[in-house]
Amino acid sequence: KMGKDRRRKNRNCVLKEIHLNVTDLDLGYETKEELIFRYCSGSCNTPETNYDQILKNLVRSKKLVNDKVKQACCRPIAFDDDLSFLDDRLVYHTLKQHSAKKCGCI
Amino acid sequence: EQVVSKENSCLDAAKACNLNDTCKKYRSAYITPCTSSMSNEVCNKRKCHKALRQFFDKVPPKHSYGMLFCSCRDVACSERRRQTIVPVCSYDDKEKPNCLYLQKFCKTNYICRSRLADFLTNCQSEPRSISGCLKENYADCLLAYSGLIGTVMTPNYIESHSLRVAPWCECTNSGNDIEECQKFLNFFKENICLRNSIQAFGNGTDVWIQ
Repeated sequence: KMGKDRRRKNRNCVLKEIHLNVTDLDLGYETKEELIFRYCSGSCNTPETNYDQILKNLVRSKKLVNDKVKQACCRPIAFDDDLSFLDDRLVYHTLKQHSAKKCGCI
Repeated sequence: EQVVSKENSCLDAAKACNLNDTCKKYRSAYITPCTSSMSNEVCNKRKCHKALRQFFDKVPPKHSYGMLFCSCRDVACSERRRQTIVPVCSYDDKEKPNCLYLQKFCKTNYICRSRLADFLTNCQSEPRSISGCLKENYADCLLAYSGLIGTVMTPNYIESHSLRVAPWCECTNSGNDIEECQKFLNFFKENICLRNSIQAFGNGTDVWIQ
């Protein structure tokens, strides 16, 4: 029962993908090559850890009024493989940690 | 009437590769060592060759051949095709050895020896056959040719306007063996069977590979 609940938590935080030109990334490369960019999207409202629960409780009971405490965010917890491409001047480039592989509320 | 085409089949193949998880992974896995400079070398040639062999071993021919044997009508396309194997690291060297010396050196290595033998067998020309090949099997010739990439016999396109290929060697200083050397080198440079195999793949007319 517990496991089922756990899996349901933050099920909004998911991996999405979009087909882009490398130039759409706006990283300064001139090339006509393309890629699949994967990213994490969704909300992380349900506390995953005691830490999250405590923060939520303290904010609600106004014991942490001045601090800007942040709840968990939907972020990559693993990155996709590297991406290599040839630019218009026939120079190779390799992008690392540019695309998500797995998402989590962290 | 022929419409002026902007298509670049080598670019299309590169796009297709990066949209495929396996091809993308093994492509960057060889481009990284082939473009990382070492202390005072362009790269670690041994690591580059190993990663290139893995690329051709693991990636389906649809993608790997797509980039290596794409058909071109302009220089932008054929230069991209020539860059597929990152020649500055995998191909070029300070000096060009004699081809017979290179062949002897290849034969001291198990992988190189067997792959060169496959190439000499499967890409044998036969001008009287319609295919141009003695073995009449383009797929086997392309497999044998691509198998040489990542060995000391690594071949590449030598001109941007043709499909002529050669390993990094020449026939000067061959002495009495000049004819034997030229025969070996021309097996790469003037090979009807290999050229027809590459053309057939590029045109998508080879039923064996598609």
